[in-house]
Amino acid sequence: MKQSKDPFEAALEEQEESPPDSPVGEDELTSQTPNEAQNQTDGGQNILVDDDDDDYDDLGPTIKNPSHPSSSSTPKLHSTSVNASVSAAVTNKNKEYDDDEEEENVDVELSKFPSSADPTKMAKMQAILSQFTEDQMSRYESFRRSALQKSNMRRLLVSITGSQKISLPMTIVVCGIAKMFVGELVEKARMVMTERKESGPIRPCHIREAYRRLKLEGKVPKRSVQRLFR
Amino acid sequence: MSNPSAGTSSKAKVGSSQPSETSFKRKRGVFQKDLQHMMYGFGDDANPLPETVTLVEDIVVEYVTDLAHKAQDIGSKRGKLSVEDFLYLIRKDMPKLNRCTELLSMQEELKQARKAFEVDEEKLATLE
Repeated sequence: MKQSKDPFEAALEEQEESPPDSPVGEDELTSQTPNEAQNQTDGGQNILVDDDDDDYDDLGPTIKNPSHPSSSSTPKLHSTSVNASVSAAVTNKNKEYDDDEEEENVDVELSKFPSSADPTKMAKMQAILSQFTEDQMSRYESFRRSALQKSNMRRLLVSITGSQKISLPMTIVVCGIAKMFVGELVEKARMVMTERKESGPIRPCHIREAYRRLKLEGKVPKRSVQRLFR
Repeated sequence: MSNPSAGTSSKAKVGSSQPSETSFKRKRGVFQKDLQHMMYGFGDDANPLPETVTLVEDIVVEYVTDLAHKAQDIGSKRGKLSVEDFLYLIRKDMPKLNRCTELLSMQEELKQARKAFEVDEEKLATLE
């Protein structure tokens, strides 16, 4: 698969030109402007949002990976550029190893990792990422880049609490919690599917079963008032 | 713990879709696009079924709602709602707690970085 045609890899190449989102300790102060300038093409409101999300998720997998099954991890995507390209790029799930492309992708990915992270973790990530298939790499990219919109979350929180004073850290934290919750749901749904020996896209019945199991495990906050209709 | 919607009108920060939004009306499909990518990233098909995405969105909204209500209960004892309340609620869930502390520390670093960057720009401006 040619790099220029694969939108995910094109996105990776974009990032390659402007090394992104590492937190302060880095040399990346100057490189943040090219990143922001480049992000402006993605659409007005999302400039800083995407920047923030990019930065957070860089360290994400190093901590999250141990708790996730091996098949899922993705770097981040700008959601605006990905919409059209997700279905197109990902429909072919060939599992061939394309070492050259992967290594280039790996180099791109690694240059993003901040050096303030644990070097042993970085080495581990490096080893893992270098062995990803294309399919795995695209999934990993989706995993890293996807995020719930902070503006939508803030709106939701305001409507729930009735208070206007929702701080930015609160929005960020709730977005992070919600994303991890989605992860738990989807992974458990996949487990349910393997138990039932079914395949294909996840269906609502799997999600419901996964949700029920999560409730039994106590990972879902219980309502003090019973909800009548579900 | 339901607050009357009368006092809360729309904020300018809210997206352009609805100028005046009561707090009880909830649009469906608010998180649909993001959720599709997210579900793919976590292990679903490349094109998750729309009903699945809708269901996951409902579950997530309910989860956030319950979480926020509980946080409000805790926060009301202290006065106002703060991030600490959310962190307290997920204290038992180690992966989530670690992730949240990481997010918060990175946000701090970013803030510092931006501040330093702006200061540099000001210096350049004054030099010129």
